[in-house]
Amino acid sequence: MSTADTAAERLLERASDVIRRLLDHPLLWLAPALLALAVFQLYPMAEAILMSLTNESLIRPSFEFVGLEQYVRLASDPQFWEMIRITAIYAFFSVVLHVLLGLVLALAIDYGVRRGLRGHLTTRVSVLLAWIVPGIIIGLVWKVMLVESQFGAVNHFLGVLGIGPVPFRSDPTLALISTIIAGTWRGTAFTMIMIYGGLQRVPQRLYEAARVDGAGRWDRFRHVTLPQLKPVLFITTVLVTIYALNTFDLIFALTGGGPGRATQVLALFMYQEAFQDYALGRGAAIAVVMLVANLLLTGVYLYAFDVGDEI
Amino acid sequence: MSGDTDRNGEPDVTATGRPDGGLTDVGRVTNRESATAGPTVLDRVRTELAELTVLDLAVYALYVTAIAFFVFPVLWVASASLRPAGELFSYPFRLVPGEVSLSAYRQVFRAGMVSWLFNSTLVTIFGVSSILAVSVPAAYAFSRFEFTGRRGLLGVVLLFQMISPVIIIVPLYTVMSSLGLLRTRAGLILLYVGIQTPFSIWLLKGYFDTIPRELDYAARIDGCNRLQTLRHVLLRPVAPGIAVVAIFNTVLTWSEFVLAFTVLGSESRLHTISIGIYKFQGQYGNDWRAIAAASVIGMLPLVVVFLGLQRYFVKGLVEGSLKGQ
Repeated sequence: MSTADTAAERLLERASDVIRRLLDHPLLWLAPALLALAVFQLYPMAEAILMSLTNESLIRPSFEFVGLEQYVRLASDPQFWEMIRITAIYAFFSVVLHVLLGLVLALAIDYGVRRGLRGHLTTRVSVLLAWIVPGIIIGLVWKVMLVESQFGAVNHFLGVLGIGPVPFRSDPTLALISTIIAGTWRGTAFTMIMIYGGLQRVPQRLYEAARVDGAGRWDRFRHVTLPQLKPVLFITTVLVTIYALNTFDLIFALTGGGPGRATQVLALFMYQEAFQDYALGRGAAIAVVMLVANLLLTGVYLYAFDVGDEI
Repeated sequence: MSGDTDRNGEPDVTATGRPDGGLTDVGRVTNRESATAGPTVLDRVRTELAELTVLDLAVYALYVTAIAFFVFPVLWVASASLRPAGELFSYPFRLVPGEVSLSAYRQVFRAGMVSWLFNSTLVTIFGVSSILAVSVPAAYAFSRFEFTGRRGLLGVVLLFQMISPVIIIVPLYTVMSSLGLLRTRAGLILLYVGIQTPFSIWLLKGYFDTIPRELDYAARIDGCNRLQTLRHVLLRPVAPGIAVVAIFNTVLTWSEFVLAFTVLGSESRLHTISIGIYKFQGQYGNDWRAIAAASVIGMLPLVVVFLGLQRYFVKGLVEGSLKGQ
């Protein structure tokens, strides 16, 4: 009995020793995460790059490698440049509105907290509320808001004023403006919180020093707050630009890229090429273009951290 | 809420550290504590009104505008969803409908809302637990091990965090079918693990880094191996971080559309809420009441969760994005 026991004990000890040694190596801890990343991020990305070098299609069974042909065709396609233009307009105005609105709200909430004004919490919660609504539903909420009949809130009130109905989603320019507003409605929470966080890190002694020097409120904002916020503003801008460039669900639900192709940003263009025109290779080439844009902006983001460290 | 109470907990700093406008309106009572100590409510209101500056009023106006802009669309949609069939919004405008009807909701439930809710709940619960199960150990490793290539690997993780998942939708169909995961909930859940792990690791590592290593050493001396140390010693102090990551991933997983659409879109019995609602609105084109009702049901669970836990969102947003190496 005792020999069997000690054998079992020894086995157990050996096992726990092996476990301990395994646990002392980082690989075991990292393996599941790295595996998930490799299979569900790296593999699809590699697949996208490979696909972009073929003429693969959803309706043809076979395909061959065509080298860089997809890219060459893309570059000579006026439609592609039109999408780039629309994406740039969408991203530019979204980012400007996000940052401006976020900055104003963050300052107002910070001011309210310090002055003990009421309603700063309600304001913050309201802005954040918009941010957690699922993208598809945001598209639909704004679709309902902008319906071109009395059912749409905006046209309802314009009607009261004797204006309209305004074709928010069927006029190309207005449709693009509508997507920008809906996007800003969702994303401002992010910039507001980031900038508010930045405001909390501004050393109070700087304000005191400025006040001693006789600086008024505007001067203090201009010469203390803004320079101190610069790193945060920069990082926030880069992040919002990345989000804006990759917007999909909201526009997909709000306008579907229309009217015509007036709101077809890159992600929707990619989707349409790949799944509605069945040109997987071409869609993949657009995906790679987006990937490169993402990587470039990430580079800027990392650079921003270095800048932030220096300050 | 307590995000603000934290700040209000230091009234002296607020009152004396940065009396905004201290130069412009000299002699104004800045100490709010003395004002609240006043005898009657009326007095208090009167002093507060007397203290209001032009800037205060401007800020109040901004609050009202912001609340209206951000909350009104949600209220309008909720209001629209409750109106009886055929009723348009009447003049003068009333947000609360005169007659409430649930017919739009009945329509949405008949279209399969229960199944969408079920699928989303399932995907969210298993998705978030899997994300945590994978990213907590990884974050621990990045925080507690010294190994060659650690920084490089962390950089790779950060890189994946920055790249939008939208990019992989073109090859996703092929990838998922080659893995045998197309049209399966498990496939979508695993995909979410791959997509959302980087952000989770990044955030959790920050929490692990704040815990003193002395705790690890003490546990070690007591004979704990690393897993026991993590479970019995580190898990409790890191719990707030786990909560933040869980909440964040709940919102993302519940809301996610484009990946779910690609993986499950062709299998209607597996549709999640976002897919279901998208398809629903495609079918019911101009039935705005029905679309409004579907939207309300789709956002309600998140809104409830969020209103209870919003201060953790704030933490997660800031900490997830503003962390240098």
